[in-house]
Amino acid sequence: MISLRARAITGGVIWAIFTIIIGVFGLASYVDRLAQERFDELLVTRHTQAVISVAKSAMTQNSIASGIGEASYRRPFSGQYWQVIAPDGEVFVSESLVDARLPRPGPNTGKISIANFVGETDEQLRRIEEWLTLEDGSIWHVQVASSLSSLLQDRNQLRGNLLLAFGLIAILGIIGAFLQASTTLRPLNDLRREVLSRWDKEGGLDVAGYPVEVAPLVNDINTLLDRNREIITRSRRQAADLAHAVKTPSAIVRNELEALQRNGQPVDQSIAALNRLDAQLNRSFARIRADGGSSSINTYTDLDISLGRMSKAFTSLAGNLGKVLISDISSNLRVRMDRTDFEEVIGNLLDNALKWSATEIRITARDEQDHVAIIIEDDGPGIPEADRKTAMMSGQRLDTSQPGTGLGLAIATDVAYAYGGEVTLGTSDRLGGLKVTIRLKTSGF
Amino acid sequence: MRILLAEDETALAQQIKSVLTSEGRVVDVARDGVEAQFLGETEPYDVIILDIGLPQRDGLTVLKSWRSKQISTPVLILTARDGWSERVDGLDAGADDYLTKPFHMPELSARIRAIIRRKSEQRNPVFEKDGIVFDTRNNQVTVRGLPASLTAQEVAVLSYLFNNSNKLVSRTELSEHIYEYDGDRDSNTIAVFINRLRKKLGDGLIETVRGRGYVIKLAQ
Repeated sequence: MISLRARAITGGVIWAIFTIIIGVFGLASYVDRLAQERFDELLVTRHTQAVISVAKSAMTQNSIASGIGEASYRRPFSGQYWQVIAPDGEVFVSESLVDARLPRPGPNTGKISIANFVGETDEQLRRIEEWLTLEDGSIWHVQVASSLSSLLQDRNQLRGNLLLAFGLIAILGIIGAFLQASTTLRPLNDLRREVLSRWDKEGGLDVAGYPVEVAPLVNDINTLLDRNREIITRSRRQAADLAHAVKTPSAIVRNELEALQRNGQPVDQSIAALNRLDAQLNRSFARIRADGGSSSINTYTDLDISLGRMSKAFTSLAGNLGKVLISDISSNLRVRMDRTDFEEVIGNLLDNALKWSATEIRITARDEQDHVAIIIEDDGPGIPEADRKTAMMSGQRLDTSQPGTGLGLAIATDVAYAYGGEVTLGTSDRLGGLKVTIRLKTSGF
Repeated sequence: MRILLAEDETALAQQIKSVLTSEGRVVDVARDGVEAQFLGETEPYDVIILDIGLPQRDGLTVLKSWRSKQISTPVLILTARDGWSERVDGLDAGADDYLTKPFHMPELSARIRAIIRRKSEQRNPVFEKDGIVFDTRNNQVTVRGLPASLTAQEVAVLSYLFNNSNKLVSRTELSEHIYEYDGDRDSNTIAVFINRLRKKLGDGLIETVRGRGYVIKLAQ
């Protein structure tokens, strides 16, 4: 689909070019006609001057020349000529013609005739001729010609100027099209920016801040944002309620089964089945949460607050076990993730670290341009490289000597991936145990 | 050691109470948040097991109320809710530890023991004095290597005195920590338990401070 900006600019440019072409042709043709009329008027004036001169003269060449008396008629091939044919056939010409002659007279129609012709020097000329009957009844032929070169030159210059002017207008038109497109589309750009910003902030879009044409769309977006929030909140609440409804009965069944087991009853298979059921439920609840979270609207977590309180809680839990948690968290970090989901990821990973560490756990958070890296290291046995992939899969317990479902890493990985983040496992250079690195997109607002 | 168990699910509460009682604990059960808050504020518990999802008043509100009233009894929160945020909320509100449902009963017992040990600043789960050994993990008592047979209430008295070793414990305090809320709290019976313990474990373990109470002195 072509963008609105491209459509607006292309439309504007095509319309500008079309207008300019029509304008250039129309104006050029008008200017040509105007120049031609002016040229003809001048020619008629010259012809009238010659006719008056003929009528007043004593019918001698000198007197006609002096009657017309214009310098350009004296300069050879100046482009301005006259020629008079007396009743007796004698031909009088301007000095400018030198030894050339204007075309033969046409038939006497009693009217002035105007025509173009090519002179003897291949010069484009325009002439006026008239058969003139004087008061004494004598018939004279009076002809005046002017070179068209000046007209052509003027016309070309005028056309050049016109093209230049219209070229400038075209450039201004295209710039105008760009400006108009961006001015017209600005509310849509604002809308896009605001929708993105609302991704991180509470509340809807301000409908009054948009033009009336865009306002209905803004209203629709507000409705969609609200509906999305409702759906996510409802699905989370349902998942939490379901977890609550299922886990307490599960705890009761487990306790009964374990009591029976302690009394020597053969309930191993039932306990194993219950373990699988619990693991599957845990994974499913985490997935429901992650699916809801990744598409939620108000999704950012301030690490100062969230990691701060998690560090405090886990420092206390570590202290219970005689271990230490060292936090090194850069300030003012934000990730594009719902706080509950972020704490789910970090909680699972810190819980794992707490379980497997000997004495020390470290959590580090730092900015990596468009990502935030959170590193959790411990001084436990770590996970061999060959087993790392398995450890991130659902319910894989590499060591059953510690209690747990084996879901911590898998849940953390699922939730992080749902937000476009990643979890990688390695060996801590500093502590020698497992090093888990979580990279999450930073929040730009 | 007296424990408040705030759990609305009757079957689960009964299971937990049964296990803890078998370990020599005295357990009061609160079925809702209001009752839990009242008992927590009025009775001297050694540990509180608090379900977050209590009816009438949720566990977090109850916990915050206790902490705001300077009630520092160690609290282990139980949660069936799925998610770390709730556990962190609980720890933030002043809980000492957490356990998620479903849990293994031995793990709950271990957590309770650990909390009691931390409270009494005792790192070792085994107390020993003059050849008398008390293992808090299984409540077994041996005298110079031979097992001693103690009743549940004798174990409760011994456990409380060991966990508060080097501290003078009055009869009233002892009775408050070994009897249930609605139990018969005749502090005179404490003297009977002390006498029986002396007969079984020897006179040197529990010292009497006349008119004030009892103390087990351990090397610090």
